[in-house]
Amino acid sequence: MLDIRYGEDRHVLLVGRLDAAQAATAQAFLDEVAPPCVIDAGGLEYISSAGLGVLLKTHKRLAAAGSGIRLINVNPHVHDVFRYSGMDKLFSVTCST
Amino acid sequence: MEMTFKRSIHELQAIVAATDLFFSERRTDPALRLPVDLSIEELFVNMVKYNRGTNHDITLRLDWIGDAVEVSLTDHDVEPYDPTCVPELDVDAPLAARRPRGMGLYLVSKMVDAIHYEYRNRESKVTFTKRMAQDHA
Repeated sequence: MLDIRYGEDRHVLLVGRLDAAQAATAQAFLDEVAPPCVIDAGGLEYISSAGLGVLLKTHKRLAAAGSGIRLINVNPHVHDVFRYSGMDKLFSVTCST
Repeated sequence: MEMTFKRSIHELQAIVAATDLFFSERRTDPALRLPVDLSIEELFVNMVKYNRGTNHDITLRLDWIGDAVEVSLTDHDVEPYDPTCVPELDVDAPLAARRPRGMGLYLVSKMVDAIHYEYRNRESKVTFTKRMAQDHA
């Protein structure tokens, strides 16, 4: 399951699994987010191409407004997915320590 | 372990539960789980989206082969479609040129150790293996 909501400092908290079944929920939330958009992915356990598509669409929308998205606290396994897909070259993806 | 699932992305939660059960049977490398889950999802969703001429459930099978997980997905009464023949994704493409389409099967090709497709008697079967890292084997 996926939990997506605002946390402290208006960071978007992404918790759980962002898969094809949860992509529409995540997209509906992120479509309403205004820049700057910092996504705290510390609780994100899993992401598939459907989830990457949601983030790509959001980044394109916000980049057109002069900003974009920034992911922080990404766990190393999830970070591999961003690396293999090249998405880490499009927006900032910071690994958790 | 072999199970069947209805042709719906809402089955993903049940697939994850089944995979949880499979992995709980032995101590494994935590790094193994995400590539296996991702590959199952991408292949399953691909079958659901593009093999529309059938109502049959999709069969998922998971086995331990030594220190590797072997996973197969079989789609029944369908036309052939080889998901192992995926075009290379340009990961250096600029933002304007990037599209989500094609990313899933490309990720599978990068994250598994081996992948094989066979088509026989109107059944499409794709099998992949993922090995544990040496220090966990």
